[in-house]
Amino acid sequence: MTAPPVGTESQLVIAPMLVVLIAAVGSLLLGHRPRARAAVSLAGGAAYAVAVAAIDWYVVLAPDAPGIATYQVGDWAAPFGITLVADGLSAFMLTMVAILGVCSLVFSTRHLPGGEGRSYYFPLFHFLALGVTGAFLTGDLFNLFVWFEVMLMASYVFVAYSGGPQHTRAAFWYVALNLLASAVFLLGVGGIYATTGTLNMADLAQRLADPAAYGLEPVPVVGLLGLLLSVFAIKAGLVPFQFWIPTAYRAAPPQITALLAGATKKVGIYAIIRLSFTVFAGAEVAVDLPLPVIDAAIAGDSPLPFVGAALFVMGTASILLGGIGAVGRDSMEGVFAYSSIGQVGFIAIPVAIAATTASPELRRFAIIAALVFALNHTLAKGLLFLAVGTVRAATGTSRLNDLGGLASRSPPLAIAVFIASLALVGIPPLSGFFGKFLVFDAAARAGNGPAIVLLLAGSLLTIAYATRLWNRSFWGARTPAVEAATVDPVQVAVLVVLATAIVGVGVGFEPVYEFAQTAAEAALDSEGYVDAVDPQAADDLLGSSGGEH
Amino acid sequence: MTAVVLAAAVGALFALGTFLLLRRDLVRVVWGLAIISQAANVYLLAMGGIAPATADSVPVLAGHGDHVPTTADPLVQALVLTAIVIGFGMTAFALVLSYRVYEEHGTLDVSELGDRER
Repeated sequence: MTAPPVGTESQLVIAPMLVVLIAAVGSLLLGHRPRARAAVSLAGGAAYAVAVAAIDWYVVLAPDAPGIATYQVGDWAAPFGITLVADGLSAFMLTMVAILGVCSLVFSTRHLPGGEGRSYYFPLFHFLALGVTGAFLTGDLFNLFVWFEVMLMASYVFVAYSGGPQHTRAAFWYVALNLLASAVFLLGVGGIYATTGTLNMADLAQRLADPAAYGLEPVPVVGLLGLLLSVFAIKAGLVPFQFWIPTAYRAAPPQITALLAGATKKVGIYAIIRLSFTVFAGAEVAVDLPLPVIDAAIAGDSPLPFVGAALFVMGTASILLGGIGAVGRDSMEGVFAYSSIGQVGFIAIPVAIAATTASPELRRFAIIAALVFALNHTLAKGLLFLAVGTVRAATGTSRLNDLGGLASRSPPLAIAVFIASLALVGIPPLSGFFGKFLVFDAAARAGNGPAIVLLLAGSLLTIAYATRLWNRSFWGARTPAVEAATVDPVQVAVLVVLATAIVGVGVGFEPVYEFAQTAAEAALDSEGYVDAVDPQAADDLLGSSGGEH
Repeated sequence: MTAVVLAAAVGALFALGTFLLLRRDLVRVVWGLAIISQAANVYLLAMGGIAPATADSVPVLAGHGDHVPTTADPLVQALVLTAIVIGFGMTAFALVLSYRVYEEHGTLDVSELGDRER
């Protein structure tokens, strides 16, 4: 076998999924032995981190790395088989999830939600990670649907079975909403299949870029992409699909909420970036949608302007609603849940700028901004939700009214939360500063005045709710609940590790920026993606062998 | 003719599912979700082409050589099979969850549930 011109086939691509699947099944089999279960889970988490690091290095970051690697599951050639693809974008996302996942896993060994569901905690944790990993690695649209379902099923159980009766109703609506979203996803997938005759993402990109050669009429894909976008927006929690977030985040155990905010939300963002830029950006479809009310028009040669306009509206609403909502909440997880809605808006705005601009340079830069902001959100919000877990385990409450004086009770906890809050606000030299700076810079380079005003307003709201939370729970006199608290040292250690990561990303920003740059280039490099997956190979095979079946 | 009947069936299923989804009774809501996911399945099946298929009309064959003379599209059937399994599991889970809501709150009426929480 000769090596293909771009990219390599490598079994490394499937390694993180296998590792996490083994950990899930292993911890399920050891259900009756808590210590062995936790040990297997931790080993699985460590192996996952190693597998992701291996992908990072050998596929993306090493000097002679190919930049993209594929794995054809079962050796069925694309586009007939399921293709797994690891490129810069996937690797960047996987790295974020691996860091947070391992932290959350270590945290979980110290504090598990009680009740009958305890022995299923670790298997479900790994299945959640499996769904997220699969969604990042798959190169097939229907397979993406399947991984979404895997991820959701695990999260349903967490949301439904770890809270009390008051959370069951929230869980029911979470399940109902996502079942509906799944049906919509299927509609989008079916329509795209009927329009283009393929579901392999690389094959899709190739066909849409040259529809005449394949005898396609690609106009319907704009609307179908809209259907898919709405599904991804539900996962990402963009307004108007944000309503499930506060209740579901309150119902799930905090260490899982950290993953829901840090990982599954990013799956929505990742899917938007991957499909819009790698797959549909090259589609030769003239979009011309007049907007008489504001005297403008959405027009262009690809579906991107449409995506950009939709994301801009959703991002704007998210920043405002999330920020204003967070200021008024009376519990820590309530503040952070609304804050998550706002922060995803901050990620959506640069993606919208990337989709609407004509300049390839700015497009690349805006995606880098979105990715760096996403990284900061994963680290900071992951830390903050884990801190909610620590506070709840120590004091039995997370209501702001019952808290106060935590800073003097546990200084390391307070410092970690302080750093994460500053990162949310965007103070140098933390990771959040660069995230916010790049987003502002992208808006300025696009010459988008309203976006800058909006981002400023969002930042002010961030300062408001972060300050309020800090004053109400960490400053001031100790309340009885805080006085009686015993803070778990391992949990605080995990928080300190994450806080160090936030500082580390900010201080040593150069390599992180380069990684994000590689990821953005991978997201925009449709041709490289198509070449690596090589969906033509199977056709050649069929043609040369005379079509035996 | 088949196309019209199928389109009408998909439309009717979606309408019925949406109607049930908006009911106050949780069990009806679950029925609505089940029907909508079935409607999506029928739609998905129809997307493979419903006329007596030739190599030209089946999407997967049209683009990848015409070596199979006459066939229904096998791919959508595989997709629907997967979707049915997922939908079945989720419907069961939603039913169990609504039973739990009933156990904990003593009612399946959505509006009463709302009142209890506030």
